[in-house]
Amino acid sequence: MKNHFNVCIIDDDDIYQFTIVKTIKALDLAKKIMVFSDGEQALNFMLENLKNNFDLPDVIFLDNNMPIMDGFQFMEEYTKVKPQIDKKITVYMVSSSVDPVDIERANSVAEINGYIIKPIKPGQLKTIIESLEV
Amino acid sequence: MHKAIKDNPKIKHTLDRINNAARIGLWELDIKTETYIIDNITCDIIGVPHDFLLSHQESYNFFQRKSDAEELGKLMTNLITNGVSFDVELELCTTNKNVIVVRKIGLADIENGVVKKVYGIFQDVTSKRNTERALQSTNSELYSIINSSAVAIVSVDKQSNVRQFNSGAEELLGYTAEEVINKMVPTSILLQNELKAVSKEFAAKYNKKGIKNYNPFYELSLQNIKDTREWTFRKKNGDLFPVELSLTPIKNDLDEYLGVLGIFYDITDRKKAENELIKKNQLLNYAEQITMMGNWSWNMITNDISWSTNMYSIFGRDPILHPKIPFETYFNHIHPEDRGNVSNFIENTVKENNFTDVLHRIVLEDKTVKTVHLLGELIVNELGEPIEMMGTCQDVTQLRMAEIKFRGLLESAPDAMLIIDENGIIQISNKEAEKLFGYPSIELHHKPIELLIPDKFMHKYETSNNNFYTSAKTNKVECSEEYFAVNNRKEKIPIQINLSPLETEEGLLISVAIRDITEQKQAEYKILKSKERLEVLTDNLLNKNRQLADFAHITSHNLRAPVSNLNSLLGFYNTSEDEEDKAILFEKFEIVVGHLTETLDTLVEALKTSNGAPTELKKLKFEDALLKTTEILTGEIRETGAIIKSDFSKVPTILYSKVYLESIFLNLVSNALKYRSPDRIPEITLKSFLVKNRVTLTIADNGLGIDLERHGHKLFGLNKVFHRHPQAKGIGLFMTKVQIESLGGIITAESTVNKGTTFILTLN
Repeated sequence: MKNHFNVCIIDDDDIYQFTIVKTIKALDLAKKIMVFSDGEQALNFMLENLKNNFDLPDVIFLDNNMPIMDGFQFMEEYTKVKPQIDKKITVYMVSSSVDPVDIERANSVAEINGYIIKPIKPGQLKTIIESLEV
Repeated sequence: MHKAIKDNPKIKHTLDRINNAARIGLWELDIKTETYIIDNITCDIIGVPHDFLLSHQESYNFFQRKSDAEELGKLMTNLITNGVSFDVELELCTTNKNVIVVRKIGLADIENGVVKKVYGIFQDVTSKRNTERALQSTNSELYSIINSSAVAIVSVDKQSNVRQFNSGAEELLGYTAEEVINKMVPTSILLQNELKAVSKEFAAKYNKKGIKNYNPFYELSLQNIKDTREWTFRKKNGDLFPVELSLTPIKNDLDEYLGVLGIFYDITDRKKAENELIKKNQLLNYAEQITMMGNWSWNMITNDISWSTNMYSIFGRDPILHPKIPFETYFNHIHPEDRGNVSNFIENTVKENNFTDVLHRIVLEDKTVKTVHLLGELIVNELGEPIEMMGTCQDVTQLRMAEIKFRGLLESAPDAMLIIDENGIIQISNKEAEKLFGYPSIELHHKPIELLIPDKFMHKYETSNNNFYTSAKTNKVECSEEYFAVNNRKEKIPIQINLSPLETEEGLLISVAIRDITEQKQAEYKILKSKERLEVLTDNLLNKNRQLADFAHITSHNLRAPVSNLNSLLGFYNTSEDEEDKAILFEKFEIVVGHLTETLDTLVEALKTSNGAPTELKKLKFEDALLKTTEILTGEIRETGAIIKSDFSKVPTILYSKVYLESIFLNLVSNALKYRSPDRIPEITLKSFLVKNRVTLTIADNGLGIDLERHGHKLFGLNKVFHRHPQAKGIGLFMTKVQIESLGGIITAESTVNKGTTFILTLN
């Protein structure tokens, strides 16, 4: 069963949105793909669907560099609401930044499961989603 | 005179001879004629010719004194009328003006109660009278001597009985004459041991040793000598006192020993004075020994030289073996190298009539070299000619050695050293001081220290002065404040001073160590300059670093993102076989390439801006820049109905790059319009003023505002956008910041969400 996960993409880069959505669809890795252009939009969705396990994502690919609310700011807010959510959500930070400062910072946030440097390869994406099933 | 005798020629002749020898003349007064009949002798005595006729009346003219004449007149009258004889001595003046003493005897022949004849003897008794007088005066002198209480006289016969004991002896010894005269000399008067000592001495001297009952007083008579010495006598009450006793043997005409005469007087006071003198002399000797000082005098006329005991020991000479000091001795002792100096000194002393002091070396017979310090005085006679020099001579070898050591120490000091007295007068200086100040040592001597370290020093010094002096005895006081010294070319030298007190016999001195800190100062200045430069450099580096970090960030995000997108797109493109799909992908390529180009352009622009000073700086009016901005933004302003206010009255102009200033105005004003609140008519206020002398510009709006707590750190980042605005690209603020910082300015922002934002630009 490859396609029973809700995948959430939070990124302001529409080209990236285009390519990753296309990749996920091509590999048929998701039941549903949600795309948000900044953290605030994503957070608002989460707050609206706190108990809605059906719509809540199983995995989030979170960009760091966004307007309004960036990845880290999103994680701050998400950590606050997480206790109210009764669903295991895996968060990956996905960034084009190879800056060690950014990577270190991401690793220091407990709720971030991993840091992926763009561009994310189709195989890598597949491995991640398959690992969620275990 | 009896007629019988007178008439007997033989007898008369004999009488005449006697009369002649004894100068006895005869006289008779003829009562009837009132005329004297005088013989030749009488004529001779009164100095008149032998045939001189002397009337009774005239005879009174010869008398020296009126009283004598009157007395004789009475006697004569009484003789003539009553026959009363007389015998008087009278003074009369001879015709030769000699005053002589004569004896006149008057007799009368009386018959039946009537005076028939008056006559008598007339004798010149002058010599007799003189002898008598001399004897009398001698007697009275002797008497006064014998009875004087200052001198005691005692004579003792050979049986040791006291014969004479005058009042002086009574007074000194406390016995009365009655108590001792014709009795044995009280044995208690003499101290037996002194008597024995004298006996022994005489016995030894006159080879009378071993003789029993040897009498030293008898020996005096044998030797026919006097003996004068000090004895100690005991008074009746037992008190002892010193006397000087002269013993003289008493002999009769036959040279037989009769006894001894002792004359003595109390010498207690003299002894006291003597003892005092001895004591003082001892004290002087002692003092001279302690101070290693001698005294000397030089009679310049006789060339006699006298030295004190210690003077001999300074020169290593034996005062007993060589008591005489020839004039050359001193000079020969002078160290050959110092002889010239000393000669000059003596010459000067005589010339200037002023003996100051001189220091020179002497060489002893055993080749020991000493340094002596001479102080003295020149004595001149009424004509101002020098006749004597006298003074002291101190052995200052050790002092000199100490001084030489001290000098050495002083000279070896790396600092300039001055020793000043409490009035700030320079006493000693070293070579370093000469070098530092440019004055030779001699010129510094006795000069006030202000010459070298002007007023500031003494002023500062005095305030701490009292404290310094009072505490100096116990504490070493150091002060190492920085001062300026002035050298002989009136150049200021920065110095560091170190003061410490030196206690000496001459009072408190202060040693002043002075260090030239010009180099230190220069080094300090260099360090300061370097530090300043370093700070600037650090600032620059920090700036560059920040820019580099910015660029790293930009590369990391803004360049890698499109590149990774390109890669992803390329992947799809390569695997896609659908032409329509490929067309869509290609569109995406164009968008990414467009982004990439824009980002690269911005980066290139930013690099150009931040690398070195850009375009030339001109004096620009803020008003002009704002005008140009509003012209460009006319459409937006009209569309939004924005109100733009400005106040550039405080600082109307600025020296700045025209391009940058216009760009900054455009970016910030357009930002304010772009992020306006949809609920309010945009209002933008621009002001210029000075803050800490720097031109500051504020641009305030009433727009959406930014949550600075969230976004503050990336407010001015490239491609950072904070609003979901279609035109938000995150380039404007980034470029604004780069431009401001490239000209040394700072940009900050204050903002409240939904109230507005104020950008504060500190320009230059």
